[in-house]
Amino acid sequence: MFCTSALSPLQLPSRMETHLWYVLPNEVKSQSLLSQYVDLLSPLEKDHVFSMRGEELQKSALLARALVRTTIARYQIHSRVSPRSLVFRKNAHGKPEVIWEQSDDWHPPPLHFNLSHTSSLIACGVTVGSPIGIDVEEKQRTMKSNILSFAKRYFSCEEVEVLSAISDPEVQRHEFIKLWTLKEAYVKALGTGFSGAPFNTFTIRFGVANPNPEDSAIVIVPLEKPTNLTTNWQFAQVQLAGSHYAAICRQNDGLPGGASMKVIVRKTIPLVEEHCVPSIVPVDD
Amino acid sequence: MASVAGSSTLMASISCRKPNQASNFNAVSLAIKGNSFPSLKSCSAPSRFRVSCAAKPETVDKVCSIVRKQLALPEDSAVTGDSKFASLGADSLDTVEIVMGLEEEFGISVEEESAQTIATVQDAADLIEKLISKE
Repeated sequence: MFCTSALSPLQLPSRMETHLWYVLPNEVKSQSLLSQYVDLLSPLEKDHVFSMRGEELQKSALLARALVRTTIARYQIHSRVSPRSLVFRKNAHGKPEVIWEQSDDWHPPPLHFNLSHTSSLIACGVTVGSPIGIDVEEKQRTMKSNILSFAKRYFSCEEVEVLSAISDPEVQRHEFIKLWTLKEAYVKALGTGFSGAPFNTFTIRFGVANPNPEDSAIVIVPLEKPTNLTTNWQFAQVQLAGSHYAAICRQNDGLPGGASMKVIVRKTIPLVEEHCVPSIVPVDD
Repeated sequence: MASVAGSSTLMASISCRKPNQASNFNAVSLAIKGNSFPSLKSCSAPSRFRVSCAAKPETVDKVCSIVRKQLALPEDSAVTGDSKFASLGADSLDTVEIVMGLEEEFGISVEEESAQTIATVQDAADLIEKLISKE
């Protein structure tokens, strides 16, 4: 039996930290635990979960909602906040956000979150004071389309050149997936949807190869003039569970130039357990 | 394989508690999209029998086939005009691959603003015919 009231509190990330939580659906097998997750959801969320086609997709959708509700509630924003009481809405472009209870004597902290999932991993990124976008993909994910055809259609010229120069198809596929997740993370951080920043209007550029992978900066180069890229966006790419690439995009909150994002990665089973895992920057496989 | 069987028992036993989930799905998904057709019920009949001034059945069928292929769905899985890409398990990369597949199949170009509005197979089919008629 698991006790839903026993949610141990968490400290909010500092303005310089990004928290990244993930859950592996394969590790969640208990029927009573899944039932507890269902009980946390709003009626609309329940409808959405059970509208998914098939058990695997339903479980993944359920875990995503359970992950975001339990995680945010644990930050102890307010004594009256519980996983079940949180209210979510989508902004004008469909990006989910929390609606905090407003009152005269309480102003909610500027907590931001973003979810991403594959069938085998669900992740949630949390920041304070900065919009955040994350995207996860399986390292082994294959494309139905030809990678270069796809890149020529959607990516920037520079990115196509970088991919074209890779002769090993496996390495090319890995680099493509990394690029995709970074571009997705940026668009999700912006929160204006795919059309707000079409993929061919910006380049994601990897810094010069460095003995220390953590110091290789990932930067975004706008291609439209005048640029609407007024904010200082910061990127990180980590590996999760040895099986996934995760990209994170957030605003650089006045950190000295070139400092890498401080990401605290925790693997969790909502309501049950969690542990910190070292933040692993992917090296070339 | 054991874990797959295990999880289908898990979710099935939980979803049994949910009443009228099939009709709720359509009502909820239409409400979310901002349409107001409360009388439309969930229907297992193929969309070709539905009265509409939307895309031709052949277009819908071609879209269904491209979606099936992209998502590696079994031949017998029901994919119709009503099917939402997300509910079938498409993530953003799948959706973009599907859109690219539709561009190649129909000889059209789908701009990002339009691609963003595609939620169901029917949306895609309607957009395709709109773009074809413009050419």
